Order: sequence, then structure tokens, then C-alpha cells
Amino acid sequence: MRNDVRGLRSARGLSQGDLGDALGVSRQTINAIETERYTPSLPLAIELARFFGISVEDLFHVDDNGRKG
Amino acid sequence: MSTTTGGRGDLMHSKWTIPVGSLLIGLVLLGANIVGHQTVLGLWSLGIMVAFGAAVLLGGRSETVRGLRGDGRDERFAMLDLQATALAGLALIIAVIVAFIVEVARGHSGEPYDWLGAIAGLAYIAAVIVLRVRG
Repeated sequence: MRNDVRGLRSARGLSQGDLGDALGVSRQTINAIETERYTPSLPLAIELARFFGISVEDLFHVDDNGRKG
Repeated sequence: MSTTTGGRGDLMHSKWTIPVGSLLIGLVLLGANIVGHQTVLGLWSLGIMVAFGAAVLLGGRSETVRGLRGDGRDERFAMLDLQATALAGLALIIAVIVAFIVEVARGHSGEPYDWLGAIAGLAYIAAVIVLRVRG
């Protein structure tokens, strides 16, 4: 699913490992989310949004025409 | 709300689960082979299982090894684990069906592949029912 995780993470000067450690997931999972190879669970999506201080809808983007962004 | 799986008290995802499980299976195989008067084969079985357990325990920092070991599991690896388990189960069921067909074509009864296939089918139906009831 299309998302702004990479941009927000980079803007805060965090590595994928740093973000993974903060959220209790692996660096590879953060990478998979950023490259749209993995759609996180709702709890992880909410934790990511809370971490960046924005809403889930602002972090993840779903196309109006389809289920996936 | 948790996005991780496993933990200090989670026996299924302890880093010792696979190594200890491998050792126990190896010992059971050794015992069965001793009962069947095949001690050398039993020792080989134990050695293979111990080597596998040691490789997982001492396998370094790779995500695959850490996921199998339990200290690198998160929700994504849990999903990978589930999909890999389903794929392995599918491969096993296909092998059982093919073996059953070959045995029947050879004029045999199809044992033991008939009841192995039945177990797989019944387990699948039971799992669907239980999981549906649990929501």
C-alpha cells in the first residue's frame, strides 16, 4: 500500500532499524512497508501513524478506484 | 495493542524451541531405531537433528534464522511463517495424493496414503469450522 513512511522517517533522520526498534518490528519489515511489499496490520499502521503524529489516512493512501493504493 | 509476536514467556517463540525440539525428535528417532535394531541409522538421525538445531541456535543475524529461532519475529514474519506452513502443507497433501494414485495404479490398496490424505482433509475441515466459529 502506498505510504509516506520513508519520507517521514528520513525527515526525522531515523534509519529503518531505528524505526523498527521503536515499533518493535524488524528493519526488514520497515523496508517492506516502505517499498509497498507488505501492508502492515491495523495495530502497526496505527502505531506508525502515532509515531509520526499524523492520522493513518494521512500516512497510508488507498486509491478510490481500488482497494490498494 | 501489540505488533510483535513472541517474548520472554512465549514458549512457542523462544530461541530454544527449535533446538530443543530438534534434540527431542532426534532422541525419539534414536530410540525408535534402537527398538528396530537400527542403532547406526538412529545415531545418524540424532546427529542430523542436533546439527539442524545447532545451526538455528548459532545461525547468526540473518532475518530468516532469527525468525525461525524466535528472537526476530514480528507480525510480518508471523505472516511469512503462516504462508510457508500452508505451502508446505499443500506440498505434502499433493505428494500424498500422487503417492495414493500411484499405489492404486500398481494394484495396491493405497495404504498408508489413504488415511494420511483423510487426516489432512478432516484436519482442514475441522480447522475451517473452528476458525470460523472463533471469528
